Amino acid sequence: MRALTWHGKQDVRVEEVPRPEVVNPTDAVIEVTATAICGSDLHLYHGRVPSMREGDVLGHEPMGRVVEVGEDVETLEEGDRVVVPFTISCGACWFCEHDLYSLCDNSNPNAELARETMGHSPAGLFGYSHMLGGYAGGQAEYLRVPYADVGPVKIESDLTDEQVLFLSDIFPTGHMAAENADIDENDTVAVWGCGPVGQFAIQSADLLGADRVVAIDRVPERLEMAREHGDAVTIDYEDEDVYDRLMDLTGGRGPDSCIDAVGTDAHGTGVVATSDRVKQRLLLEDDRPTVLREAIRCCRKGGTLSVPGVYVGRADNFPVGPLMNKGITVKTGQTHVQRYLGPLLDQIESGNIDPSFVVTHDEPLERGPELYETFNDKEDDCIKVVLRP
Amino acid sequence: MATLEPQNEAERHRDGTSSETGRLPGTLIRGGQLVVGTALVDYGRRQRSSRGTAATVGGGALIFSALGGMSRVKRALTDRTDSERATEPERRETAVRRSITVDGTPESLYEQWRDPETFAEIMGHFAEVTPVDEGRFRWTVHGPYGRDIGWETSVVVDEPGEICRWETPTDAVLPNEGAVRFEEAPGDRGTVVTLSVAFEPPGGTLGSAALEQFDIVPKKLVGVALDRFKSLVESGEVPTLDRNPSGRGSGDTV
Repeated sequence: MRALTWHGKQDVRVEEVPRPEVVNPTDAVIEVTATAICGSDLHLYHGRVPSMREGDVLGHEPMGRVVEVGEDVETLEEGDRVVVPFTISCGACWFCEHDLYSLCDNSNPNAELARETMGHSPAGLFGYSHMLGGYAGGQAEYLRVPYADVGPVKIESDLTDEQVLFLSDIFPTGHMAAENADIDENDTVAVWGCGPVGQFAIQSADLLGADRVVAIDRVPERLEMAREHGDAVTIDYEDEDVYDRLMDLTGGRGPDSCIDAVGTDAHGTGVVATSDRVKQRLLLEDDRPTVLREAIRCCRKGGTLSVPGVYVGRADNFPVGPLMNKGITVKTGQTHVQRYLGPLLDQIESGNIDPSFVVTHDEPLERGPELYETFNDKEDDCIKVVLRP
Repeated sequence: MATLEPQNEAERHRDGTSSETGRLPGTLIRGGQLVVGTALVDYGRRQRSSRGTAATVGGGALIFSALGGMSRVKRALTDRTDSERATEPERRETAVRRSITVDGTPESLYEQWRDPETFAEIMGHFAEVTPVDEGRFRWTVHGPYGRDIGWETSVVVDEPGEICRWETPTDAVLPNEGAVRFEEAPGDRGTVVTLSVAFEPPGGTLGSAALEQFDIVPKKLVGVALDRFKSLVESGEVPTLDRNPSGRGSGDTV
């Protein structure tokens, strides 16, 4: 089958690879009909995520039709149309039973590798390094889905692929980011990063009752989307000082909740940001925590910092003193996608939200490599890419 | 037989990471160099003049010096791959003990562990384990170039619902022993399963060479075996990358 494979820094190829099969009794194989490139795929693209191997199949936002099921699969059958969450979860361990699906104890075949680096292993993910499972991803014609009764959500209405595809990751991720932000009525919520996750975080913050959402980015069309679809106040951080503007907007209190929807590859200016980049090149630092630093500085005392943005390792110059002295609560983690599938599908079916508004590019899988580049360079007004295998 | 107690303390000292004394002044100087160097590079990048270029070059030199040249860069690289460091021969511990919490009662988990089919699957990542007769198993570890190493173990302590301990005869090619203990976890969290293994390589370095040659890493053996047991008990299967597609072919090892 044809698949997008990783070959190193900024080297993604379309390649012929073996077709996946049912291996374990709870597996299903789906024929992928639509699959998206995620902002977090760009961390792989930049070579930031350790334990990637040449030839790994990328992609963790897939949907399609079931073509094969293992003998123990009970809820799915051939022909079912499903969206597949990026988190692979067994559904039976303590974490899954407590709705903490992205922390599943049993789905990572390389748990020992993750444990050596992180102390404990989170769930296995599709197409996101060997430390996080090593599973082939969904930017391919076919995908093997383990624990098929736990992850995939069946789509039985006639909603289009683009309307439901983002249940796989970015819609639940933006939603959990807003939930983690502990939003109360009258709260001001600041969202760093107006990529797709930021856009869904903005919308969810609004749904959860925020009085006002402030969106921070530097890409004009992303800020425009935040104003138009999310009714947000926007800050272009290249034009204005983010701290000053946020204090202006909040009477000096600072936003009650801050959401970092950027993660490890944040851009930034000044000595510290340059130092980050130098250290990152020399492999002395893994992450550039530019947004975390700024959010901690801006956040209201006793406020909440929610971090859906992906970080991969260690960061320097982390303002742990301000974090502690301002009494800020931090909530983070990969998304417990399975927890949100039902409620968010309901939101889409009832017409409260149509997630397809983020799509700017809808192209054949074969164009994947060039679209990784376009998305990375934020050219051609690119916000979200859907690929058709 | 070697002790079943973990030897982490000793390892830590052999590794030298506890000898921090006397390092601080050097660290401070290097830190200062790094800050000043970085500031110079940043300044230099903004100035389009010979002065700017000089600042960039000078700053870069300071940064490089702060990092102690390539040796420290190399060490930083090593730091990134903790997994590789863990398998370096000199860090290879021969006796390891680790626990995991598994859903189930000590009695039911003991029963599952003692099922020869389950036991073979738990150890499947490390050795081919086949039952010989009651309480006796034949272990075969596949090495490079089609060479195998093997031994037989007998269960020597067996208390249902509590503990099972096995060992090789002392004249085995690679004498070793193992034990698994089941204890109720606090609250409703199931059972704490503790697995220990100890290898006593014969003839000192020659024996250590056998561990290396057959890539036997007791720490990994124990960690992965416990993971496999837990997954099998809780979800009914062991997660696998068998036949996983990639540009390298089918399966994770190719």
